[in-house]
Amino acid sequence: MIQLPHIPFIITIILYFTSSLWSIGYIIKPSVFDKKVAKWTMMMGFFVHSGFIVFLGLESGNIPITNVYESFVSLLWCILFVYINLDYLYKLLSLDTFLLPVVTALSIWALTFDGGNLLITVSLQNFWLIAHIIPIFVGYAAFTISFSLSIMYLTQQRQLKHKLFGSLFNKLPSLEGIDKLMWKTISFGFPLLTIGLVFGAFWVKTQNVLGEMWYLDYKVILGLATWLIYAALLHMRLIASFHGTKIACLTIVGFCLVLFTFIGTFFMGSKHAFQRVSEQTHTEVLNVQ
Amino acid sequence: MSILVVGLNHKSAPVEVREKLAFNPNSINTALSLFSQKYQDQNAEIVILSTCNRVELYISSQDGAIKVEDVFSFLADFHKVELTAFSSYMYHYKDDHAVNHLFFVTSSLDSMVLGESQILSQVKEAYTMAAMEEATGKILNQLFQQALNAAKIVHTRTSIGKRKVSISSVAVEFAEKIFQDFAGKIVLVVGAGEMCELLLKHLYEEGARTFIVANRTYERAEALANEYHGQAIKYELLGEYLEKADIVITSTSAPHYVIHADQVKEAIKHRRGNPMFLIDIAVPRDVEPEVANIDNVYLYNIDDLQSVVSQNIDERNREVEKCRVLIEEEVERFMARLEEMKIEPAITHLRNHFHTIGKEELDRLKPKLKNLDNGDWEQVIYTMERTINKLLHHPAKVAKQEAKNGGGYRYVETIKKLFGIFHHTDHSQHKEKTE
Repeated sequence: MIQLPHIPFIITIILYFTSSLWSIGYIIKPSVFDKKVAKWTMMMGFFVHSGFIVFLGLESGNIPITNVYESFVSLLWCILFVYINLDYLYKLLSLDTFLLPVVTALSIWALTFDGGNLLITVSLQNFWLIAHIIPIFVGYAAFTISFSLSIMYLTQQRQLKHKLFGSLFNKLPSLEGIDKLMWKTISFGFPLLTIGLVFGAFWVKTQNVLGEMWYLDYKVILGLATWLIYAALLHMRLIASFHGTKIACLTIVGFCLVLFTFIGTFFMGSKHAFQRVSEQTHTEVLNVQ
Repeated sequence: MSILVVGLNHKSAPVEVREKLAFNPNSINTALSLFSQKYQDQNAEIVILSTCNRVELYISSQDGAIKVEDVFSFLADFHKVELTAFSSYMYHYKDDHAVNHLFFVTSSLDSMVLGESQILSQVKEAYTMAAMEEATGKILNQLFQQALNAAKIVHTRTSIGKRKVSISSVAVEFAEKIFQDFAGKIVLVVGAGEMCELLLKHLYEEGARTFIVANRTYERAEALANEYHGQAIKYELLGEYLEKADIVITSTSAPHYVIHADQVKEAIKHRRGNPMFLIDIAVPRDVEPEVANIDNVYLYNIDDLQSVVSQNIDERNREVEKCRVLIEEEVERFMARLEEMKIEPAITHLRNHFHTIGKEELDRLKPKLKNLDNGDWEQVIYTMERTINKLLHHPAKVAKQEAKNGGGYRYVETIKKLFGIFHHTDHSQHKEKTE
């Protein structure tokens, strides 16, 4: 059952879905699907999304990460926020066609985490936690965009190789252009991820939230793996000045790891300061905080 | 007022005929002023469009006073050519057909390469020249401005001029899908044929500046390299330079492959994933086809490029019908405007006529109203003018609107008859008077 408070998020999803539809439609039949519709539905979606985040924050009196669902909603907001800013700075041709469907799919997935199933067990009024979460979320957002860019790169690369010159081919930017942006988003996300992980380590040590064996937490291990993969990517690019298909493929692997670290680890039993609690205790726990 | 076009083009006449009637910029000016002088009494307006594919004279005259034969004999006299040498190759259109033809030409639907943009600037230039010579008037000014406007509409609303239709422009377009820009990119040219040069020129125009040329005859490589401030290398060193090249153009006449897969594989290793674009325009091919399978390497041969060119030409042909509809709309709009223009002098006259009557009446009234001071008298004048303007506003508006539907001439006649107005430039009234 969808609860009433989630209606704004459902409206957001509908708007993102419409935006995806129009941005894909624009590639196939630009005479029918106006690019402006794609842009404005996305902006409206982002507006409602922002409102929803504020609502969640005000409701709990904390930054909206009190459960996995809220975290997911916040992460998606970060992705859109970073994308809108990057789009303003770099005029990313047709990236919305690749990013918005990803965002829509993730939003629908987020909805399945609805409710206070996995609830955070630690105080959110903690500097280290905020310093851990925010950079990581913005970093993840950058990685999501670089993932979309790498899909875009591989699509364009495939079209060039197989000589498929449809309307998608005409609307996508040059390989070099995509490659540069991919590099920019990764190099923007990586330091943030690093800062987030370092602060996370401080938080864990100072608050002892994950227990003595904190380094065995799946989320910690996979977080480190994610960091390593992006570090490898940066190394390849910076030291060995690697470009092209391999970088694009590695970026995709990196993003899969990001997603798995973010959500997948909960399925593996990692708690990472979250606890499986019933609906009733949700508010109680929050009150205790 | 009538519009006439007389001309020939690449479809109607061979180059031997076209060149006889072609004008150069100087002779255009002479012809324009000669023609204008000769047909001054017919209110003649003229624009001469002379390109390598066409010579056309656009003429407007009072009630079609200038006939096709007049234009023929003018051309024969001017170019000192026998009339029979060209008359059978000429076409001519009148009024809306002439307007339609001009819009077609300007929109590049009558060009040898459908949708090319050069004709637009040629028409603009022809018109500017005529306007500078004061050979155009109200009609042709309006016509040519509308023609340029129609062409813009056609080009923005359809994709008639969007797709590239030459091998070299298509190749450059692909290169643009691989590289963000060409500044700092190294272009390796193997062979120094005409096609290579064309591609080089195109890339240079798009910003490429570093060229390396290799050719069996070193001197030819040097000549081509010098032309583009590039570097000529010995043909044997080709393999060594391959890894540096972002774009490779090959067009040698060698009967065997010049660039092998092994060489490219080795080169790409050193390029660390940086893409390499090979354009093989030679027949037989210069680049081993297996090269296409190497990661980050994009190989296009002449057939790949040619098939895109053909597709793009087809695409342009498919757009013609859309353009035709747009042009028809524009022609209709212009013809309506023309009808409206026909009625304008009559309305001006009607207005003048009323104001003259008003002034006469006021002159008669003034001595009778000696007690009025200047301020009050101005009020009387103002009221009179206002009344006249108000009385005429509606009929003038309706007449203009109705004229747009093609009945302009009828309305002019009616206005004249009803109010007994004569216009010294109006041909039919002249006739009536003399009769």
